[in-house]
Amino acid sequence: MSEMKKEKLEANQGLLDYLIKHVRPELAEKIDQSKSIETMIVGLGRQGTRHAQLMMEYGTNVTCGVAPGRSGTKVHETIPVYASAEEAVMNHPNIAVASIWRHYSTAKDATIEVIRSGVPIIVLISEFIPLKDVRDILVEARKHKTILFGGNTPGIIFPPEGIKIGMLPDIFQAQITDEGGIGPKGVTILSRSGAILYHMSDALASAGIAQNGVLGVGGDGAIGSRFVDLVSLVMNYENTDLVVVAGEIGGMQEELLAQDMIEHPKKYSKPLVALISGANAPEGKTMGHAGAVITPGQKYGTFNSKKELLEKAGAIVVNHQHDLIKAVKSKLNQTYFRVEDYYERMKKKWDAKSPEPTWGTLITKVLPNNLVIKGYSLQDIIAKKGLLETTYLLTKGEFPKNELLGLEKIAINAAKEEFLHLDKNPEESDVSKIIGTFLLLDKKLSNFANSEKDPSRVAAYSLGRVLRYLSIYFGNSQKLDNHNQDQLSFSDLIYLCLVGELPEDKMKIKLLEAIITACVDHGVTPPSTQATLILASTRANYEVAISAGIQAITDVHGGAGQKAAEFMLSVVKKSKETATDLQETTFELIKETIKAGKRIEGLGHRIHTQDPRRDVLWDFAKKAGYAKECVEVSRIISDSFYRVRGMNLPINVDGVIGAIIADMEIDPKLAKAVFVFGRTAGLTAHYYEEISTQPQMRRIAFDKAIYKGPAIREITE
Amino acid sequence: MKLYEYEAKQIFDKFGLKIPKQLGVIEKLEEIEKMSLSFPLMVKAMVLIGGRGKAGGIKKPNSIDEAKEIIRKMLQSSIRGYPIEKILLEEAVDISNEIYLAVTTDPATFDIVVVASASGGIDIEEVAKTNPELIWKKTIFDNAKELEDTVAEEAVDFLSKNFSDKPEIKNQLKNAIKSLYSAFQNIEAKICEINPLILTSNNQIIAADAKIVLDDNSLYRQEPLLKSIGIDPQSKRHDVSEQTIFEAKAYKIGFPYLDLLENPENFVKEKDKLYVALVPGGAGYGIFSIDEVVNVGDRYFEGKVVPINFMDSGGGPSLSKVADMFHLLMDHPTTGLIITSRFGGISSCDIFIRGLIMALRDRHLQKRRMIPVFGRMVGTDLAAAREYLEKAKKETPDPLEDLHIVVGNQKIMADVIRDGIEYGFKIKKQQEIRG
Repeated sequence: MSEMKKEKLEANQGLLDYLIKHVRPELAEKIDQSKSIETMIVGLGRQGTRHAQLMMEYGTNVTCGVAPGRSGTKVHETIPVYASAEEAVMNHPNIAVASIWRHYSTAKDATIEVIRSGVPIIVLISEFIPLKDVRDILVEARKHKTILFGGNTPGIIFPPEGIKIGMLPDIFQAQITDEGGIGPKGVTILSRSGAILYHMSDALASAGIAQNGVLGVGGDGAIGSRFVDLVSLVMNYENTDLVVVAGEIGGMQEELLAQDMIEHPKKYSKPLVALISGANAPEGKTMGHAGAVITPGQKYGTFNSKKELLEKAGAIVVNHQHDLIKAVKSKLNQTYFRVEDYYERMKKKWDAKSPEPTWGTLITKVLPNNLVIKGYSLQDIIAKKGLLETTYLLTKGEFPKNELLGLEKIAINAAKEEFLHLDKNPEESDVSKIIGTFLLLDKKLSNFANSEKDPSRVAAYSLGRVLRYLSIYFGNSQKLDNHNQDQLSFSDLIYLCLVGELPEDKMKIKLLEAIITACVDHGVTPPSTQATLILASTRANYEVAISAGIQAITDVHGGAGQKAAEFMLSVVKKSKETATDLQETTFELIKETIKAGKRIEGLGHRIHTQDPRRDVLWDFAKKAGYAKECVEVSRIISDSFYRVRGMNLPINVDGVIGAIIADMEIDPKLAKAVFVFGRTAGLTAHYYEEISTQPQMRRIAFDKAIYKGPAIREITE
Repeated sequence: MKLYEYEAKQIFDKFGLKIPKQLGVIEKLEEIEKMSLSFPLMVKAMVLIGGRGKAGGIKKPNSIDEAKEIIRKMLQSSIRGYPIEKILLEEAVDISNEIYLAVTTDPATFDIVVVASASGGIDIEEVAKTNPELIWKKTIFDNAKELEDTVAEEAVDFLSKNFSDKPEIKNQLKNAIKSLYSAFQNIEAKICEINPLILTSNNQIIAADAKIVLDDNSLYRQEPLLKSIGIDPQSKRHDVSEQTIFEAKAYKIGFPYLDLLENPENFVKEKDKLYVALVPGGAGYGIFSIDEVVNVGDRYFEGKVVPINFMDSGGGPSLSKVADMFHLLMDHPTTGLIITSRFGGISSCDIFIRGLIMALRDRHLQKRRMIPVFGRMVGTDLAAAREYLEKAKKETPDPLEDLHIVVGNQKIMADVIRDGIEYGFKIKKQQEIRG
């Protein structure tokens, strides 16, 4: 079999565009220009959200979503969400189709709102809508001439254009032209039931009959557009060669259609085949005479009443798959594709493994030996940008233009503000636990996060506060308060709070900030980020979610720097004592440590064989003049380890940071503190991404996240 | 949901319509002893089906002995499949005129329609057919909460043409029409009907009968109404005639199911016929698959094929629910063959085949009745489902010996049904030879 051309029909050449043109010609003109039909999803519960994804995968242009209370958030990471249909249409005036997935108890208000916003075609998926509500919907739909499919419709699908709105599976077959492209012709199916559509399509496809549109009119007793409203309209579409309606016992839709065909035969220019189900259903027992009284002399609702009237109107009525095939074939005398190709296509489709569900993050892409934040490689960021600029990038997607001063002010003020009366060194020694606890107790932070909408400002404030806590932890808060801060930058403050003094050498300040910047983020999989995301998914307060994340930073995750620094210092010390060179001493000490059953910290990484943050930090340290003995140890430790264990364990970022901190002759405890401090920025970014782009209480498959942020790009000055 | 007459009347009463005084609703003959009755009395069988009067469900005894005899007989009988379990006793009213009044839903446009006729009574349908000019109808296009005075007055003018022009009667009628409409909208009914609405000799307008069909979809927000007539708002009344044991079982497990045979528990099978049970997918194909079985039977098997059930097995049932569906049909004494179709759109072929195989393995172990299964699956998770099926057939060939599932689109369901039926007859013949 030759490979099919994968092209699709342009959106402005298909049946859906024809329907839009019928109701809102001015909108169709826009579609002629854009060649795209914009749709929106109303109701973003589990179903609406899932099917939004499936619709997009099929090819539908899902422009936005509507969910009360979620204005300003995103669905599927990138699709904007509005609080009302009105707001959505104001922002996206070319929306032509809306699908409504709301619960029956709120479906009415949502639907009326969409109708009033002027969207011409509505697919009302919701089922079990109270009849009284349906009537209210219909009153409004008539006023606005809306084409309304449903309630309780599986949706509408247009195989030639590759557009579907609703939940119909991708099994319907478009015409394949002699040239191998997709053609617009075929039969159009309208059906009251969803399940039967599959079997109709199946039967028709087995005879080479294409469908250019499949319209579920809705399975409920009272629905929007009925057969009688749609069949003649669809027949006038030039590429529809025949119409099939799938009716069933109950109601009088089929009779109304037949009556209209009898009264206005000219409206029905193409053949009609009706598949009616229920010939052998048990006689329904009805109550009351009202039905018969308002339609005197007219029998309706039974198989026979439908069959007789439709046949009188000239339709072929069938009740069996083979009869359907026969009837359609007899009227068309042609096929629309090769049946063998169809079987081949379907076999391929059914044999394919269903794709695993994924989700997206726009923050950090983690590649082996490379970390990319919002498209920029972290190495470049460390080399060229400061912590607050990086924080802004994490939370807003771009580097700040003139917002940096404002952020710095927020951060400095936050660091300056008193925290409890605890401004002395607490008993507890674990920095994660201290910071986590302080975060929970900090009323000022809580208030700030509650009232501030801009995540970059919350992040800056948060960094200032965490710096304040760290100054308490390291016993430097008095120095912070005593300093005349007007002269100090936030970078200066960081050094002052962590180390307790301002260095002569300004390069030290830069180096410390670079180390912190190296720790800002590592995607969604680190345990600290997972903890924050889980809390965010329950919509816990900002500071609670960040506290949870910080407290997951331990010796096992992110906290190895301190131990690594201590190890390297011990190597340097012993080397001096024994007058042995660093290489040999490193080897000896590793041997001893391993013998004692302990781990060498700062080695190995889940993902990187060469940590992308390694070289840039080494370079930075070298330039600043702090690449001394410990950094030297960090360069050779991997090889020494190999000599002991025969295993390749590369130095990781913790190891490099530990080495530099040791060479800067500051407290090794700082190694873990800088990680906690830097990661506060990344955790903040993930917190806000989660609450604004993901449903509440979702099950988070951390390893199924896909980076959907900007493509790789260069930092331009 | 259909309401009993006495419930409907109580609701109408709340909306300002006059009803005959209810003396009580009884379920046992003894209950009548404690009641103080005056005669003539109306004795009315409470069943959720029309045509009661013609079937002897409405009587007017003149003495206590006569009343007891009527009640005793009624409680032993049933009307069109509905056993009489409750009887309403109410005061009889004298009749001067019978009016028909209804607020209902237009089946064509789904708008509200108000219907009135001065020719009420049991023959109203006949009147509608032969003398449609005697029926007044008005469609309400805006779903208004209350009926406008002008519309009600129009109806009154039409009605009073035929019997009375007294202002007090006209006013009562107008109020009755508006009340009925108000009730219809407030309780969110599909049908509110009074037939007859009686004009008594002393110029009273009284609802001598009452019918209400509530909209099942709005029951959730009609709690006060339902409580006021003693119905648990969380549970839906089962208002088809008596459930068969299989229907009751399916209802309990939680999937729509109907027996097509009368009295399926003790059904006497015709010897040369094949009885086919269906696990068809969604409701739409559930109805259609019954037709397909009959059609195939008529065309190729001399009309000797009888479908036995309707089922809606769509919407992604769980593993155990799939198994329960097959258990139910294999426990069904008439089943000679099961035909199944899984078109996995939203639902998964994988869960379906696992559930089916689980049921077959369990039955084989427990030595319960095994029935051949023919079917087809196609759609979501088909690759995994096929793999599971092939592996299962190798691992446990015995319980799956009579499982015949076509995988993929190569055959349409009509042909699978034909193959299945052919096989079903073959097996049947073998069993007959074996005795």
